[in-house]
Amino acid sequence: MTTIDLDELLENLAQCRRCGICRNAVYEDKGFDGVCPVWKNSAGFETSFMRGRIQVALALLDGRLEKTEENAESLFSCTLCGNCTSICAAEFDPAKCLESVREVLNEIPNAVRDTIAKKILENNNPYVDENKTRRDWVKEVGFDIPGTGEVLYFTGCTAGLKLPETAKSTAKVLNAAGVNFAVLEEEPCCGSVMIRTGMVEEAKKNAEKALEMIAKSGAKKIVVTCAGCLKTLREDYSERFGLDVPEVLHMVEYLKPLIESGKLKLKKSSEIKKITWHDPCHLGRALGVYEEPRDILKAIPGVELVEMETNREAAMCCGSGGGLRSYDGNLAKKIASDRIQDAEAIDADILATACPFCEHNLKDGANRIGSKIRVVDILDLISKQLQ
Amino acid sequence: MDNVVVQKLIAIVGEDYVSTRQDVLLAYSTSASMSYDTVLPDAVVLPQSTEQVSEILKVATQYKIPVTPRSGGSSLQGEVIPKEGALVIDLLRLTEIEVFPDLRSVTVGAGINFGKLDKLLNKQDLWLPVYPGSSLTATIAGNVAVNGSGFGSSQFGCIGELVLGLEVVLPNGEIIQTGSEANPNAPGPFLRYAFGPDITGLFIGSLGVFGIITKVSLKIFKRMHHFDYNTYGFNTPQEAEKFVIQCKENEISPVWIAIYEGRILDFFLEMVGEEYGVPKYEWPPITVSMVIGRIREDQLESDRAEAQRICVEEGGHVIGIAELPKGEWDDRMRELARSSYVHGWHWRILYHHVTPSQWHRTIEEMWPLFDEFGVLGHTAGFQSDHSSYNYYPQIFFDPQDAEDESKAKAAHKELVKRLFKTGAVPFKLAPYWVDGITEMEPYLNFLKDLKEAIDPNGIMSPGTIPGIEGED
Amino acid sequence: MVDKKVITELSEIVGEEFVSTKQDILLAYSVSASMASDAVLPGAVVRPVDTEQVSKILQVAARYNIPVTPRSGGSSLQEEVIPEPDGLVIELMRLDKIKLHKELRSVTVGSGVTYGVLEKFLKEHDLFLPVYPESALVCTVAGNVAVNGAGPGSSHFGCTGELVLGVEIVLPDGKIITTGSEANPYSPGPFQRYSFGPDITGLFIGSLGSFGIITKVSMKVFKRHKYYDHNTFGFETHEQAEQFMVDVKQNDINGVFTSLYEGPVLELFMDMIGEELGVPKYEWPFRTVSMTIGRVREDMMRSDAELAKKLCEKHGGHVIGISQLPYQEWNGRLWFFVRACYVHGWHWRTLYHHQTPINAHRSVEEIRDVMEKYGFLGHTAGFASGHSSFNAYPHLYFDPQDPEDEQKIRDAHKELAKTLFKTGAVPFKLAPYWADAIEGMDNYMAFLELVKKTIDPKKLMNPRVLGGL
Repeated sequence: MTTIDLDELLENLAQCRRCGICRNAVYEDKGFDGVCPVWKNSAGFETSFMRGRIQVALALLDGRLEKTEENAESLFSCTLCGNCTSICAAEFDPAKCLESVREVLNEIPNAVRDTIAKKILENNNPYVDENKTRRDWVKEVGFDIPGTGEVLYFTGCTAGLKLPETAKSTAKVLNAAGVNFAVLEEEPCCGSVMIRTGMVEEAKKNAEKALEMIAKSGAKKIVVTCAGCLKTLREDYSERFGLDVPEVLHMVEYLKPLIESGKLKLKKSSEIKKITWHDPCHLGRALGVYEEPRDILKAIPGVELVEMETNREAAMCCGSGGGLRSYDGNLAKKIASDRIQDAEAIDADILATACPFCEHNLKDGANRIGSKIRVVDILDLISKQLQ
Repeated sequence: MDNVVVQKLIAIVGEDYVSTRQDVLLAYSTSASMSYDTVLPDAVVLPQSTEQVSEILKVATQYKIPVTPRSGGSSLQGEVIPKEGALVIDLLRLTEIEVFPDLRSVTVGAGINFGKLDKLLNKQDLWLPVYPGSSLTATIAGNVAVNGSGFGSSQFGCIGELVLGLEVVLPNGEIIQTGSEANPNAPGPFLRYAFGPDITGLFIGSLGVFGIITKVSLKIFKRMHHFDYNTYGFNTPQEAEKFVIQCKENEISPVWIAIYEGRILDFFLEMVGEEYGVPKYEWPPITVSMVIGRIREDQLESDRAEAQRICVEEGGHVIGIAELPKGEWDDRMRELARSSYVHGWHWRILYHHVTPSQWHRTIEEMWPLFDEFGVLGHTAGFQSDHSSYNYYPQIFFDPQDAEDESKAKAAHKELVKRLFKTGAVPFKLAPYWVDGITEMEPYLNFLKDLKEAIDPNGIMSPGTIPGIEGED
Repeated sequence: MVDKKVITELSEIVGEEFVSTKQDILLAYSVSASMASDAVLPGAVVRPVDTEQVSKILQVAARYNIPVTPRSGGSSLQEEVIPEPDGLVIELMRLDKIKLHKELRSVTVGSGVTYGVLEKFLKEHDLFLPVYPESALVCTVAGNVAVNGAGPGSSHFGCTGELVLGVEIVLPDGKIITTGSEANPYSPGPFQRYSFGPDITGLFIGSLGSFGIITKVSMKVFKRHKYYDHNTFGFETHEQAEQFMVDVKQNDINGVFTSLYEGPVLELFMDMIGEELGVPKYEWPFRTVSMTIGRVREDMMRSDAELAKKLCEKHGGHVIGISQLPYQEWNGRLWFFVRACYVHGWHWRTLYHHQTPINAHRSVEEIRDVMEKYGFLGHTAGFASGHSSFNAYPHLYFDPQDPEDEQKIRDAHKELAKTLFKTGAVPFKLAPYWADAIEGMDNYMAFLELVKKTIDPKKLMNPRVLGGL
């Protein structure tokens, strides 16, 4: 069973006429300085960028290529960052098609994918057995956070379990802005990674369960700090699964009016110098949120916002999307190092972003090459500038 | 030569056009190349058509007779000195001209010289805008075979850049047509790069070693009528070099740019200054003599102003003496020949190309070498393409003094070696370059393989590119 | 299947990471941007990083008699890089060095450098390589030399072949030669193609890799044009439009891109992307010439623009004055054509060929006839591509999911090559399908065959091109 209309998918895939623009197009007028981060940072065979992946997908679908784990490797060596979609000259969305292909072909064995899905279904997160620990950070913020309320801060697995600083910062910022908010007692996983890796049926089950838990909290508005959660809750839940989700906002969207109206006041920091913004793929290319975070950064007194060569629609990916970090961690980190070098090229002191996946991977990328650039979540940055 | 062969040749071209007479052979034992040993051929034949050339080559192949094609006989580097016992094929009777106004092209037989073509094109307000020094003698086909350049090259490049296609008779007598005309249905020559690979190039600068060019098709252009003649003075070679590069870079249309060192210019004007009406002047260390040519007057005005701006920007000054460039340009079909012969010396020449930014390197190599070998000489040159400069040093000698001549030969030989090390290149692999070349074995072997395949009997123009010939 | 020993040897040359015999990878190399061509699975793919590695690889291929298909951007449309069954694909994208020779007005690029990459590099120096093939963001300069392409810029600067100053080649036996002025190891760089004549550079231009692998190309570069005029010119007969194009060239107007559109074809284009490009609605005439004039200096551009209008009227045309079309063609030159080729959803076969401008209408006539006879959709347009040539690029549309439709297009394409040849049209290079179309060129083909046999006696280098000599 799949949610995909196979004929429509094939018709879409047929839109690819193999022009190859999705490999390394350097097109200054549209801001592209290369397209596929995997091609650039891997051995670079034809299957390492979208043109080749689509050929492999078509061959797997029509049986020219045997459906083996090995033959399907290239389908998973992709961050689904969507930069290829941004530059594609034809009328289709190659990244989205690949996501669908993963779903249609999810009978092809893939241990990494299956393990993640299994863990999420069993533990409500992909990382640890004891999901309850994801609320431990609440004890450290210095005030109580209820489990129910109209504004729900949906922390996400990665902030909750791996980067709790972001969760704490978010709580402080919301508190400073006078927002009463809740955090679920036992927060589920949004299921993003299951959707990206083709486990859509499982993701749907998970989504129904998650939404039920969210509903119990009485939330009318959900705020998130993870770009993946944002896209999944805002877009996939309704469009894919037909679920009725309350309004979902990323904190950068939520905060912008609060800062502009003066409800949230930011002070100057002597430490902050040149900051650049890394567009998370799920926030930027997927949902078009480009200006809010930049406006916030510019609103911090003393900050000089500098742009990396590729940004917005043409921004290079951090390397961790689409399940790649789990599937091929080394490659993901290499891509991250590459992105860090983009920031180094413009002499940025700080690279800010708004996705724990990006943050986590970019930090690894910076370490890998001994970069001094500080990778921070925008909420961590803001929390330090609260008056 | 075997009488059977002579009879076969007569059967092809008729009795009038084959000769084995000693006086005739003697006249074909030499060319305009000075200080080259004469070599008597066995016979000379003057075909009238491509088909006759084809038949002649079939005979030559059958009897393995070495062949030297020849047209104007004006080449200076021994290109048409025959091999002993050879058959000279004189192509001057191939005199067809066909103009294709809509295709902006012309096809000429191998016997047509630049002077003749210019007269014809002039009537239609057209031109072939490259005039080699020996325009009144040299044929266009011959110039393609040596890949020459000349007046006009500063804007239009060397002759090779203007070729649209060739008709060639291969050593086995087969006739091939290159470029767009390879399609027998083509309306004429309009594109060189057709049916790629570009085999036209193989015959440009080939000195006849791969076959005989019987027809050449070339780009032609609307004739320019607006010219600006001026001279620009500089204190250092580097300033002058930059000026030249910037003129090219900024889309000025210079049909002639010559850079003169002060003392060479003085020498040159002593010879022809009065003839061209050039006023007496204290020439600066470096002078650039430039002719700008344009189809439209407003373009010329714009170029003129731009050239002056660049001159001053590069630290030079506008001299304003127009007679020098005007004299050179107006006499372009004769000037280089005139200035080469007016002084009475014989000389050996050493055509080579440098990039304009390296103009000074040839001068730096030449003067000390002249002192070392105790020879007289000079060099002139002109900017000749996108980014090259065509130099032609001449080493003088007295033809009646054998010792002097051998000194000139030795100096010439050494100069090749030193120029090669400066990065200079020849248009074509004339014999004397072979000694000067090092570290180019794979390149020469590649050519050698092609030579062996196209001319397995080694009958075509033996000795003109000795470096690629097989063992005798 | 390529012998394991071979793979081991290749791995020793390039490192294990850069050799593959994986089925999915071979599959991806069995095709290119060429539509309606049969995929052919190679036996292995190798990605060398420099000329020396390419040389060693070719020595291995020669020793084991493995056919070789060189490939870089993979954007060619005429089956130029479809491999041999079980052959070796040498993918050259890792040869990505660029060296500028500013004083020589030239640049040397490795065969993995695309036009997009080079454009960005040269722009920083206020220079350009002023011929942009339609797939400029994908295709490499070296690949374009091997197919001898053309594109925006060619109307003034000629085809790519005219800009080449020299190439570095690895011959089939692994020997490396450099042509042009760089054949002299002491040369300061590329400054003169016609050096050490005969001109062997030309042999590799349009050679489709059949004589060796181009590992570097040296090209003329120019100061970037700063001043442009964009205009459209309408004509009621093809003679008027064609004579106008000839006269533009003859009068030294710097038309960097001069396209000629048939009325209905332009309508079709504008239906597809007119709005996207901001081209106003217009009743396009029988023929439209869309021209961009480019100059380094402003007064020259203005002078050209004025004269172009006069010449248009002299030839009975009228100045349309819509600048958006030529503006987009030129300013979007890295993108416009790819977009126009793919926006509509059809698959197509193309049939690049060259006419002289006064024969442009003959291509239109032949294409229309074939379209009628076979009953399919398609179009053709083209642009002035040199001193006196016109590059036409007909597209023959088909539905990729309908095999019958696809076969029809293959047949029509084949026939069209034949009829176009009879009009006097010529191809830049001998892409596979031209072999059937040419007639009366036996001596030419025999000569090419001799050259091929000499340089590549084992016939290992891209054997399917040049009519399979």
